Amino acid sequence: MNLFRSEEHARRWTQFNPQSEEGFINLPDLAGFFGTETRHHMLDANYLSAWFPKRAAERRAYLEQIGKATPFWLGTPSPS
Amino acid sequence: MADPRLLDQAFHRLMRSIVESGRALHYAELAREMGSGVEEGRQLLLAVMQAYPIGWLHPDTDYIASFPPLNNLPTQYRVSVRGEQKWFAQCGFEATSVTWLFPGATVRVEAPCLDCGERMVVEMRDGKFVTVDPPGIVGHLNWGFGPSRGRPPFL
Repeated sequence: MNLFRSEEHARRWTQFNPQSEEGFINLPDLAGFFGTETRHHMLDANYLSAWFPKRAAERRAYLEQIGKATPFWLGTPSPS
Repeated sequence: MADPRLLDQAFHRLMRSIVESGRALHYAELAREMGSGVEEGRQLLLAVMQAYPIGWLHPDTDYIASFPPLNNLPTQYRVSVRGEQKWFAQCGFEATSVTWLFPGATVRVEAPCLDCGERMVVEMRDGKFVTVDPPGIVGHLNWGFGPSRGRPPFL
C-alpha cells in the first residue's frame, strides 16, 4: 500500500509482485477510497461504535464505483 | 466484552493523543485518563485493538505500532502539519486519509519512492489536493486486501 513516482517506478521496485498489475490506483481515486464518509468522523467521540462498522460496506461501494470490485481489492477469496 | 461506551472513550483518547502529540497513549497513560487501574487499561487497549483490527500492536508487546491512519512506529510517510513534522502515516494509502484528522489545515506527506529514493510530496487540505509532486504519483497495492493472502498488510 505504497505511493510511487509512477507505475514504472513501482514495477522496478525490488519487491514488486508481478501479479499485482491490477493493484494500481490513481491518486484522486485513492483519496476518494480513503476519504469516504466514515473517514470524516475519525475524531468523533463515537467513531468506533457508530462509524467504523460502516466502513466495509462503504469501501465496497466505492470500489464498485471505480471499477475495482475484484477479489484483489475487496479482500475476498479469489475464484479457484 | 468491554462496554461499547468505554471502547469509544478509549479509542477517542488514543486517536486524540496521536493527533495532538504524534504518539498514541501507552496503556498505563490510557488507564490514568480513563480513571482505571493499569491492568484494566491494558485490557481496554487490547479490546480497542480487537475492535479496530486495521491497527496493530507490535508483535509480542502491548505497544501500539499502528493506529491508522497514523503510525506510532515511524514509516517512510512523514506527515507535517503547520510546518511541524511529528506524525507518520501507516502506509501510502492511509496517508491520503490523514487530511481528515486536521480539518482546515494543509497536511503535507513526504516520502521517498521505494524504487529510486527520490522524494514525493502530497499536500492535502480538507480532502482536496494542494500539491502533488511529481504529478504522476500513483498508489499500488502489492498483495491485495484480505488476511487470507498472508502477506504484510502494509505492502
